[in-house]
Amino acid sequence: MKLNIEGLLVYFPYDYIYPEQYSYMLELKRTLDAKGHGVLEMPSGTGKTISLLSLIVAYQRAFPLEVTKLIYCSRTVPEIEKVVEELRKLMEFYAKETGEESSFLALALSSRKNLCVHPEVSSLRFGKEVDGKCHSLTASYIRAQRHSNPSVPTCHFYEGFDALGRQVPIPSGIYNLDDLKAFGRSKGWCPYYLARYSILHANIVVYSYHYLLDPKIADLVSKELAKKSVVVFDEAHNIDNVCIDSMSVNITRRTLDRSQANMETLQSTIQKIKETDAAKLKEEYSRLVEGLKEANVARETDVYLSNPVLPDEILQEAVPGSIRTAEHFVGFMKRFLEYLKSRLRIQHVVQESAPQFLKDIFEKVCIDRKPLRFCAERLRSLLRTLEIADIADFSPITLISNFATLVSTYSRGFTIIIEPFEDKTPTIANPVLHFSCMDPSIAIKPVFERFQSVIITSGTLSPLDIYPRILDFRPVTMASFTMTLARTCLCPLIVGRGNDQVAISSKFETREDFAVIRNYGNLLLELSAIVPDGIVAFFTSYVYMENIVASWYEQGILENIQRNKLIFIETPDAAETSMALEKYQEACENGRGAILLSVARGKVSEGIDFVHHYGRAVVMFGVPYVYTQSRILKARLEYLRDQFQIRENDFLTFDAMRHAAQCVGRAIRGKTDYGLMVFADKRYARADKRGKLPRWIQEHISDGSLNLTIDETVQLSKHFLRQMAQPFRREDQLGLSLLTLDQLQSEEMLERIAQIAHQV
Amino acid sequence: MSASSEEVLLVVKKVRQKKQDGTLYLMAERIAWGPDGKDRFTVSHLYADIRCQKISPDGKAKIQLQLVLHTGESTTFHFASESNALRDRDATKELLQQLLPKFKKKANKELEEKNRMLQEDPVLFQLYKDLVVSQVISAEEFWANRLSMNTLDHPLSGSKQEVGISAAFLADIRPQTDGCNGLRYNLTADIIESIFRTYPAVKQKYAENVPHNLTEKEFWTRFFQSHYFHRDRISTGLQDLFSECAKQDEKGLKTMVVQGVKNPLVNLLSLEDKSLDEGYGAAVAPSTSNTNKVKENSNSAIIKRFNHHSAMVLAAGLRKQDADQASETSSVDGNSRDSDYFKPPIKKVKLQEAIEYEDLERENRQKTVTLNLKKSDRYFHGPVPVQSQNYTTSQDIINSVNYIQQEMANYKPSLIQVISSSSASSAIAALSPGGVLMHAGVQQAINQMVPLDVQAELKHLYMAAGELLRHFWSCFPVNTPFLEEKLVKMRSNLERFQLTKLCPFQEKVQHQHLSINLTGHLEEMLQMAYNKFHAWQNRHMLRKT
Repeated sequence: MKLNIEGLLVYFPYDYIYPEQYSYMLELKRTLDAKGHGVLEMPSGTGKTISLLSLIVAYQRAFPLEVTKLIYCSRTVPEIEKVVEELRKLMEFYAKETGEESSFLALALSSRKNLCVHPEVSSLRFGKEVDGKCHSLTASYIRAQRHSNPSVPTCHFYEGFDALGRQVPIPSGIYNLDDLKAFGRSKGWCPYYLARYSILHANIVVYSYHYLLDPKIADLVSKELAKKSVVVFDEAHNIDNVCIDSMSVNITRRTLDRSQANMETLQSTIQKIKETDAAKLKEEYSRLVEGLKEANVARETDVYLSNPVLPDEILQEAVPGSIRTAEHFVGFMKRFLEYLKSRLRIQHVVQESAPQFLKDIFEKVCIDRKPLRFCAERLRSLLRTLEIADIADFSPITLISNFATLVSTYSRGFTIIIEPFEDKTPTIANPVLHFSCMDPSIAIKPVFERFQSVIITSGTLSPLDIYPRILDFRPVTMASFTMTLARTCLCPLIVGRGNDQVAISSKFETREDFAVIRNYGNLLLELSAIVPDGIVAFFTSYVYMENIVASWYEQGILENIQRNKLIFIETPDAAETSMALEKYQEACENGRGAILLSVARGKVSEGIDFVHHYGRAVVMFGVPYVYTQSRILKARLEYLRDQFQIRENDFLTFDAMRHAAQCVGRAIRGKTDYGLMVFADKRYARADKRGKLPRWIQEHISDGSLNLTIDETVQLSKHFLRQMAQPFRREDQLGLSLLTLDQLQSEEMLERIAQIAHQV
Repeated sequence: MSASSEEVLLVVKKVRQKKQDGTLYLMAERIAWGPDGKDRFTVSHLYADIRCQKISPDGKAKIQLQLVLHTGESTTFHFASESNALRDRDATKELLQQLLPKFKKKANKELEEKNRMLQEDPVLFQLYKDLVVSQVISAEEFWANRLSMNTLDHPLSGSKQEVGISAAFLADIRPQTDGCNGLRYNLTADIIESIFRTYPAVKQKYAENVPHNLTEKEFWTRFFQSHYFHRDRISTGLQDLFSECAKQDEKGLKTMVVQGVKNPLVNLLSLEDKSLDEGYGAAVAPSTSNTNKVKENSNSAIIKRFNHHSAMVLAAGLRKQDADQASETSSVDGNSRDSDYFKPPIKKVKLQEAIEYEDLERENRQKTVTLNLKKSDRYFHGPVPVQSQNYTTSQDIINSVNYIQQEMANYKPSLIQVISSSSASSAIAALSPGGVLMHAGVQQAINQMVPLDVQAELKHLYMAAGELLRHFWSCFPVNTPFLEEKLVKMRSNLERFQLTKLCPFQEKVQHQHLSINLTGHLEEMLQMAYNKFHAWQNRHMLRKT
């Protein structure tokens, strides 16, 4: 259908529309008009992606000069591919309606592992190996060597791309990862570099967060993207953690040992080169004296070492004299390594700020702040000069140099914690130096500053106001949308007591309580008897799940559950869990029914959807608080309190509730789907917890379902499931939660739609 | 009918039937009852006819046993012996329990199958009516190659659907203490079957060791004592019978894991696009030295076991189909290209499923069914006879195109040699509608001229003739006396068919004054068969003399 969103003609590739989608597009349009940032929360499974794409594509077509590019960031590879498929659907609709081939170019970009077509390289299993191997075939000096010595192996896909790929732009169209590969194969061009080159002139780019948020990658991939772009972060409920991860460094003794070995190798290589090709080193030296940024030509393959700090922090000066010659630099790094080693030789925990660390290092080994800042840059130059082939081997020393650069660049927002041993094993010495970023706004700041509109959206962003605070930006719109429903297809229940009236809760004091564990087991057992097909249960942590499963096994609860359904359990091993997941789906598919026991914050809870019969009920055992005893977390909480005036408890609850919401939200997709959401902990009934759930879940929690016993839960669930099992036809929805174009245009409806969005 | 001629397995006296005292005999193939003082049985059932037996509940005053037949009738025996009625009844029950299943499988399976086929296939039923009921061929002949053909086509259709395995079958063997420091495990035939189906390794052990090394009882005792059964106990390191099974399971699990998953959307390994390099990130990566120890603990062993158990139970239900698929794939193994060929679609389908909103779409959207090809080559190329082909190379094609172009360029119409205008116009007239040569064009479509009932009859005739001819031609090459005999018989069948079916039809058609020859083709086919038969007969005679 064709919609009129405040004067903008929007093609929407379906015949019907949910009211909240219309409302969402309205808010989005206003955000784009204002050229500002937005935070939008819309229930999962109400067609957020297609609404986003429809509106932004329409906007791009209407105002090609205002918005030149859409950068769509999502979190997982399947997620990225889904977005591209939805986009394809939209573009097919455009082609059908307008009758003309659009000149849109949209493509997905992913790591080499997902895009490589080189027969040998692509058969490697791990991303790091693929990157390393690719580099050893395509690095600029390797290709230069090939000119003199044709037996040096190179990648003919890259050569093909390099020879022709840049002159002829890729034909317009929608390219998913597989399409890119097919295109690359047919042309003999490397799909990865083709994609990286093409994102510069593509209308829509879909890739993962890291390409924009991790400065090490963003600097290489996304540097030249146009400023007039709209950036969308989908599934952004965890965006602060992504930001923090990309800026934090951990150094163990093993890292130091391996760096030491790296340095030895470097030194001997320097020696060798000195004897054979001293001119090369001299040339490098003079280049560094002049402070020349190396020319950016033909270097896109040398991606491996990029600056870990954000672009605006990089100094535009020459590398200081003390580390300019190769030997001096090696000596400098060795000194630095020795210092770090001495710091790791401690018996008690040390926590200090970056300036303290710098002061200490100056006093002890006379290392200045300035040369430290250039470590990453200098190492990059050296590795290139020495023509190191297998760059993956040098990752430890790279890590160290990145740490040096980071610690000397940022004086605020970071903390250094040195722990001599793990808390669980105080007898085993395992010193770790955590250089931990506490301020997510550091990594995302350039994104907000550079692009005109940044949209942060997800199914679970409640409470909305916390995101602008921790990410430090000013949104022009903040809205949360409810789900219009013709039938209440979600049923959140808070179970607070067992049938024996013992309060159930995963809080620390009672979590090992026998009665609590038994009641949890009974709850699952009762549910397994009445819920059809699949049930997913989430625990607060892996260790907790292990303990509970063991005691359920001893009590025979699991055996009784097995009478009703098969049981699959998440393990720390991703491959094993994948298999369990697939079997779980198979069991749901063939009608046997199954239960999946899983962990909040685990991979399953973050990346897998349990739609329709794959998840008719989700049980959240306990409140998934993060492990609060960790020093890094404590430091971060302190920082949040001091800098953003966010109370520790507020943040912890917020974090726990967003994960809980994320878990239960996995079960609902669309209005024809239905699912039970069982929160099994009496603490959920409290206003401060409940109030942090997304509005679209909150509004279905009645006061009557706040502190249920297991029996009551079963009664309510039975009732709910029986109702949901009735046939649900389009006519039931039409006009309420599903609209035709005519219905959408009526005054009354527009009024109702205006109420869907709740501005914050 | 005297009892002495058969082997009598059990004799129970004082059994009443219809309030008459008598004796119950259980023989090798039947159960029989005769009233006291008479020399003949008034009741006699073949075991094959019995569907099931029922017994009265324990507390009841009357101790009875009821036999229910396939026909639905039932016979009730009342065990009237005062002292040991219960024992008698149980003995009978036990024996019947052993005997009945042996006969059950045979019972009328074939007839049922034939019946089912006729009911499911109206065409076949019509054929049956045409050929067998009208006695053109005998029923045996009709079924002779039908049944075998059918079983070849759908090996599964005939077999019963197998009952799946309860996931909790191990829970059903809850041990009970017998009061004196022992444990009793209840093991039924069903549970044993479940164990075997779920854990083939145990079945193998059983086959290896029972009965020559261990008795059945010993085997199961060891099974329940083994670490394998109690996976949560820490392994004592003792070499028991089943440690090997555990290893095999482990291996199986590993291969399953290594094989990976088909659905890319649940593959957690490829979920992350760009993982952080080692050493980056806020969360501490667990150090490897510790996790190893943790891994060995019993809790994670339980978790592993549950995953494995569920997977095995699930697989046991699917094993049969799997076996079929495996044989298929192994036959296709020659070109593994096929599996590659189908790989992207799985992903595509899953992606499409994931982005679909069924309520937003219009309803009339057609659900397409994906083509399920075992060998895609066949679909694209059809069966191509293997021969040394002479390919036209692209050069050849280009050459010939050039040649034709040249020809066309040099083409000059020789205007002197064209036909005269008068003959040209007459030719055009002849080719126009209504012209001499265009009679065929105005012919009415045959289905409009022939009444429907005749059409239907003709259809049946064709089918019947086709069936008969199929039988006829399937006799060639005639290399056994049996086939010879059959061939002769089939020929007479064909003749009979022509006489009893075809000729009356022809007459009927003539009565209705239909001008077209409807049966020409049928006659031709028959004639062809006759010719073949004569040729064969002549040769046959020659060889004989």
